[in-house]
Amino acid sequence: MKISVRQICFILLAYTAVTKILMYPTILSGDCNRDLLLPALIDFTVGGIVIWSLSYLCSKTDKTFFALLEGIIGNVGARIVYGFIAAFFLLTALLPIFEQKMYIHNIFYDTVPSLGVFLPFFAFAVYAASKKFINIGRCADICLPLFLVCMILMFALGFGEAKMDNLLPMFKAPAGVLFKCTAGTLYNFAEPCWLLMMMGHFKYKKGDAAKITLSYAGGAAFVLLFLTLFMGIYGPIAPSRTFAIARTSLFFPAIETIGRIDLVLLFVLEVVMLFALVLNIQLGVYAIYKCTGYQNYKIISLAVNIALLTITVFADSQYSGIYNFYYDWLWIAFAVFTVALPLSAWAFKRRNSR
Amino acid sequence: MKKKINISVFSVIVYWLVFLLLAGLFFTNDFGLVDIHKTSIITAVGIDTDQGEVQVTAEIVAPQPSQSGENIKYTQVQGSGLTIADALTEINAKTGFYPKLQYCQLILIGESCLDSELFRILGCFYRKNYSELTALVAVCKGNAADMLAQKSDVSEMTSEAIRKILSDEIKKSANGTPANLKDIAIGEYSQNNACYLPYVEAYLPGTSENGGNGENVGGENPPQGGQSGNTGGGQSGSGSGEGGSSGGGSEGQSGGGQSGQSGSSGGEQPVEFTARKTAYFSNGKFKGVLNEKQSFALAVLKNEIRLAVLPCDADGKHYTIGIKTVTGGIDLKIKDGIPKVTLKFSGGAQIQGVRVVVDPNKIMSDDFVPESVLKSAEEEMEKRLSDLFETCKKENCDLLGLREMLYKHNTKYFEAFKNDIYQRAELELKVEIRSVN
Repeated sequence: MKISVRQICFILLAYTAVTKILMYPTILSGDCNRDLLLPALIDFTVGGIVIWSLSYLCSKTDKTFFALLEGIIGNVGARIVYGFIAAFFLLTALLPIFEQKMYIHNIFYDTVPSLGVFLPFFAFAVYAASKKFINIGRCADICLPLFLVCMILMFALGFGEAKMDNLLPMFKAPAGVLFKCTAGTLYNFAEPCWLLMMMGHFKYKKGDAAKITLSYAGGAAFVLLFLTLFMGIYGPIAPSRTFAIARTSLFFPAIETIGRIDLVLLFVLEVVMLFALVLNIQLGVYAIYKCTGYQNYKIISLAVNIALLTITVFADSQYSGIYNFYYDWLWIAFAVFTVALPLSAWAFKRRNSR
Repeated sequence: MKKKINISVFSVIVYWLVFLLLAGLFFTNDFGLVDIHKTSIITAVGIDTDQGEVQVTAEIVAPQPSQSGENIKYTQVQGSGLTIADALTEINAKTGFYPKLQYCQLILIGESCLDSELFRILGCFYRKNYSELTALVAVCKGNAADMLAQKSDVSEMTSEAIRKILSDEIKKSANGTPANLKDIAIGEYSQNNACYLPYVEAYLPGTSENGGNGENVGGENPPQGGQSGNTGGGQSGSGSGEGGSSGGGSEGQSGGGQSGQSGSSGGEQPVEFTARKTAYFSNGKFKGVLNEKQSFALAVLKNEIRLAVLPCDADGKHYTIGIKTVTGGIDLKIKDGIPKVTLKFSGGAQIQGVRVVVDPNKIMSDDFVPESVLKSAEEEMEKRLSDLFETCKKENCDLLGLREMLYKHNTKYFEAFKNDIYQRAELELKVEIRSVN
């Protein structure tokens, strides 16, 4: 087996959280204001159900999703579906790449750095995405302790400034706004599709479904707590504060005296964020390999990253347009690939059994 | 074997590519690093307006290459434009450093700005990634440019001398109402639509007026003018609640009277700064200045106080009472359709000063404060609290945050009461000052 259940749990705990602490809180507070927890709660609940369902399915079959598909729609059909999945993963990676680039430029530099300072990321991505599942698991082993230590310290630095009653009154956002925000921010929730790709690559033991689901719930708890902290600190001006994770520790009294010690934690969290970001590219490369049958991961990884780099360079200042496209339209694709497709695995499994 | 050779060739190519990439970054952009000697860091900005234009005076810290001794130079650079961003662009052109304002710790707003909408002027600081919201904000008497040009014996850097009077310790002693960009924006953009800023004044040393009741802040103002060429607009608005200031002259005198003065930039003679008064705003518009007593009341209600000093008179003597373990707060309840506001203050008192000859044998008994003194202190505190409430009521300026409390905890009454909650509210004062021992 290529990845262990422990490593999957680590991925769902750490990566789930770090992919939602940059722009996600700002967007939620802008759309739903004091009700920002509700859309997050809905998305996490749906994601949690899908993840439990998928991990439970793993107790019934040790086949990969590709094998299940192949049994129903044939090899060519399965390859076509994996082609779409590959495109989905690359789309999932694209917007966070822009966010990461802006985050690094704005938070880690005092002046205006050139685009070039972010481009080494792609060298890292080429290397990481050319590795297989075993590597993904090892990265998660490294990232989890880093994530836990840094997040707990970041919470400690920001807690004193937060006024929790900034979330009151709750349930005031109109249903239409709530739905639009829940759907629009779905592009942050690729986790069920991660698990779908890992299906059949780990050995299921009794109770693993609960462990995996609880790990995801743990990641969700971190995000919900962070949203509460962020809203508690900034209240009505939260929608103006981008890169949320870098804004919560600023008011810690010691920072004025001894300087931005929180940057050390942010640098470490950045490492975890980059591994989480590159996971989508890794799984995209895997999906392309399954789609094309071309076994040289290095070449696929190189091609994929050149494509992403080209888009990043040519659409350097188009973040707002890309974001609007994701928010307004891409939620449909995310609903298909992170909810419908993983749930349909049950149907494929049943028909395979017959 | 063939496979091994391919991998090693691939690795060599990758290493060379990485090396060339890093070398390219190093030689073109120095990895984005900045030579400290080529920087001009903005540590404070003063904002004035003149005929619709914004004039920004930036206090610049320019590190100088030096083996020993003075190696930092402080100076002021000015820029102007229709927005602060315009002015900062001019400053950028003059200093050669991109003014991202990451290190700007103080924003001084001159009196000439008080005619304008506060958040139109400050808007720039809230826009994307321009500055952090930790910077302290204050209104100053006269021109901000002149204020930043003053010299202080407290610190070589004028902004640092001003920041000392807006420190956390001042906040904890209720001797001021420091606010940063975040605090004022939360006040303004919440249901309160109101915010307050400390009011900074400069005085010549040794000119403190006689008298006062513990809230005396100074005496003569230093000469100002010239630097920015502003026509100080003076204070507009009702200016209610300004009574009670015992030092430094009245607020309304500044501004217009200083226009046209030139020559000395007010920087020759060292000055002392104070910020015991509070400028307050409603819907972004300047409403007036709270005097020292009202500011004290606001501070004890809003901030966490460690030690507050309260003067009072009892038994024909003047006492200065130190109050520890202070708890203050505001409570809003709706009872029978009537909003009831409770302003609470409690703390343990000890005698810090009294106008009698000190008897060393009786110092230990300072922790036992006579009942008559406690009662007098309570009355003084009640007077300050009710005075503050009346000012809020008169100006319909929600400095106490009642509307936000109503919205959070009694939402169903919000629409009915939001416009006139101060007029409808019944005020209850719960002041309890006990002997510390």
